[in-house]
Amino acid sequence: MKHVNWPWTIGFVIALAIGSAAATLLGNYWLFLFTGAVIAAIALKGIGLVAGRAGMIALSQMAFAGIGAWTVAYLNVWQVPGTLFLWVPIGGLVAVPFGIAIALPALRLRGIHFAIVTLGFAAAFDSILAATTFPGQTQFIQVPRPPGFTSVPMYFYFVVAVYAVISIALDIVSRTPLGASWVGIKHSERGTAAHGVSVAWSKLTAFAIAAFVSGVSGGLLAGQLQTLVSDSFNIMVSLIYYAVTVMAGAHLAEGALIGGMLIIFFPELMRRLNLPQDIGNIAFALGATQALSMGGSIAADLRGGLRRLRRKVGIRPKTYPEVMRKAGQITPPPVAEGARSVLSIKGLGVKYGQVVALDNVDVEVPEGAVIGLIGPNGAGKSTLIDAVTGFLPSYQGAITLDGGKLDGLDAHKRARAGLRRTWQTTRIPAELTVGSYLNMAARRGLAPAEMDEILQWIGCPHPSTPIATVDVGTRRLLDVAGVVAARPKIVLLDEPAAGQSYEESLFLAQRITEIPEKFGASVVLVEHDIDMVRKACNSIYVLDFGRVIAAGPPAVALEDPDVVRAYVGAVEEETAA
Amino acid sequence: MLSLDVTSILAGLPAGGAYALLGVCLVFTYRLVAVVNFTGAAIGAVGTFTLVLLHEHGFPLWPGVGLGLIAGMLAAIVLGLVMVTWFSEAPAQTKAAVTVALLVGIVAIGLRVTGGQHPRPFPDLIPGPAFTIAGVVITKAAVATIGLAIAFAGAATLFLNNTRTGLQLRALSERPTTAELLGMRTRVLSIGVWAVAGIATTLALMLIAPQRPPNFMTLSLLVVPAFAAALIGFFRSFWLTLVGGLALGMIEGFTASIDELQQFRGTVPFLIILAVLLWSQRNERWDEAR
Repeated sequence: MKHVNWPWTIGFVIALAIGSAAATLLGNYWLFLFTGAVIAAIALKGIGLVAGRAGMIALSQMAFAGIGAWTVAYLNVWQVPGTLFLWVPIGGLVAVPFGIAIALPALRLRGIHFAIVTLGFAAAFDSILAATTFPGQTQFIQVPRPPGFTSVPMYFYFVVAVYAVISIALDIVSRTPLGASWVGIKHSERGTAAHGVSVAWSKLTAFAIAAFVSGVSGGLLAGQLQTLVSDSFNIMVSLIYYAVTVMAGAHLAEGALIGGMLIIFFPELMRRLNLPQDIGNIAFALGATQALSMGGSIAADLRGGLRRLRRKVGIRPKTYPEVMRKAGQITPPPVAEGARSVLSIKGLGVKYGQVVALDNVDVEVPEGAVIGLIGPNGAGKSTLIDAVTGFLPSYQGAITLDGGKLDGLDAHKRARAGLRRTWQTTRIPAELTVGSYLNMAARRGLAPAEMDEILQWIGCPHPSTPIATVDVGTRRLLDVAGVVAARPKIVLLDEPAAGQSYEESLFLAQRITEIPEKFGASVVLVEHDIDMVRKACNSIYVLDFGRVIAAGPPAVALEDPDVVRAYVGAVEEETAA
Repeated sequence: MLSLDVTSILAGLPAGGAYALLGVCLVFTYRLVAVVNFTGAAIGAVGTFTLVLLHEHGFPLWPGVGLGLIAGMLAAIVLGLVMVTWFSEAPAQTKAAVTVALLVGIVAIGLRVTGGQHPRPFPDLIPGPAFTIAGVVITKAAVATIGLAIAFAGAATLFLNNTRTGLQLRALSERPTTAELLGMRTRVLSIGVWAVAGIATTLALMLIAPQRPPNFMTLSLLVVPAFAAALIGFFRSFWLTLVGGLALGMIEGFTASIDELQQFRGTVPFLIILAVLLWSQRNERWDEAR
């Protein structure tokens, strides 16, 4: 179980147990409120997953909770055996298909359209609730609490236990490559798909799990209130929960709990101060606006403060011994005579409207080789990579990887087939740690030894380092670490040395020449740094205006008169004239 | 049977006119200041309830309408100030999220000031029927709403395509900083857009309010059918949005007339939103989609 963070889990359970025991001392009145706060925290976890991690504006979470509550009320009226122990999870499951249905348009959409869809769903659910009543409501049939947990304190413990189970489960999932991909799609859908993640699947799972969690919270609320009213699930509540999610940072474990407390205790505080209770909602609106303008949240600020505090008291983050990013002798990798072709591009053509970006381009990448792809700006280098990796809607020609046809495959399927790429600008989500990013890129949990080896090989920081604290130059190295960690057949590196110093790019060049032997992948290197290309590549292709104008070993191709002209302009003609 | 259908469909026209006008306002703010505005009905509710409260206290009707319009305009200006002060360079999604947060605040204040979900009587601004077709009495208010929607859509189209200020505003919505560097008075222009949208929204709500469950929340949520209309216009075309709003109202009128469907009348905007998005976004991929 390498995805379980044992110190965190044990600490969390102990803290929860102590907190619950302490809350018991306060008496039933307060305990009832605390029960509500924990249930609200569960609902917030659902929104946090979609809004905080996957970056969508989700405005119908209480409708999902309402579906969960509705289901529980029906199961109760029908006298289905199993009590709340069984009804609550069933309520969660019933909410799942609704979550998926809402997610379907969102597979292609992002934030704003999703916000409109969810608001529409919440309004539709409201109108149906207004036209009907909860099952058993008119006959005054109460939802019984589960046997053994009927008293206020016992039901409180029950709710806390459910909260603990959901928190730990979500924490485990968030450490898997799937969980990391949720953060990935928020940051860049292309970047995530390039790691072989199906963006559609990633979104669907996020919504399905979020709907389940919200449905569970609705079922628990049915047990707490015992008589349901539609006002608990109306659209205003959904909107308030979204505002609190943003304000508190509900995708973080403590953020959800803080948010739940705010939702329940802020109105209580106002009541005790003889102030109107809905002042809380105004405060949440302002808090969310403030959080949006600062780009933080209560929980994120607390974590930042804690990190600074740890540094101040001398607890240093884990690091590797310093790696000197200095290169020795750089030689291209040895390639066997007559080595077979790993990547074969034949007759590749791409048009953007009337503009011909690539015209009948042939490229062969032999096994174990580093192939350079150079050319002036606008020559079509990045277009070539986009076409090969599946990020263009269409192209002409045939591309095969290790003999298998790639044409027509989606980007993530090409990545899974063993074709990985990096981007000109780094697309690493800043919310992840170095280690979780590497796991996401590799699409598996790397063994600690393997992770250490890759990171130290290229001079990246310790896996526990938050990427937010890593400088941009190092992030570019991490890009390379990510693609090789997946052990693909071929990696396409799009200007990996951009923004690096001269020494650093030579160091990187040396590491790139080691990739075939160390990771079994051939390399296509797109670069402007001619020196780097000359030293690291077995052979190069020179593109200009979408055509290959020269190909061969660097020493030969770079001396080609066409290449010189493409780079330096019409110098020769001028001197001749 | 046919006449019954026509009757119920036409009965949806007044609502359709309001959706159309609100939808056109949403497209207006999106195209000119690049904000998808979830408070697109709530700011109008502010103005409308100003009128209602004044009227209840014996204030004469038409001066009350004037003050209500000013209140709606001021609410929109405050919103605009928040946007240009703190979020002018923020991504579109963040701006939308801000309007969601502010919607919570506006509704909370609105419900508090107007006494919660308690219904309040609305004055009919333009009482009486205009004419009768197919046995359906079309009210003057309905004619006025639809007329306003057409006028606003036409004026907005002309303004954007044929005036210098319209061109500047389009530049502003796409590249605020560049526009500012070119010497445009971006703040003033943006606030002006918000003010106009606030007035038009308030007018739409004042006209439709007497036919709705009259509380602040319900009126603020008219933004949902307005979004459906704006999506039919792809958040670009004022005329398509207008047609979309009217069509939406008529579909609602039709579903209200069928007993089995009546209960689900409120889901019509949602289903239309879903259908339009699935259709219009069928080719969109990757990060480029909104």
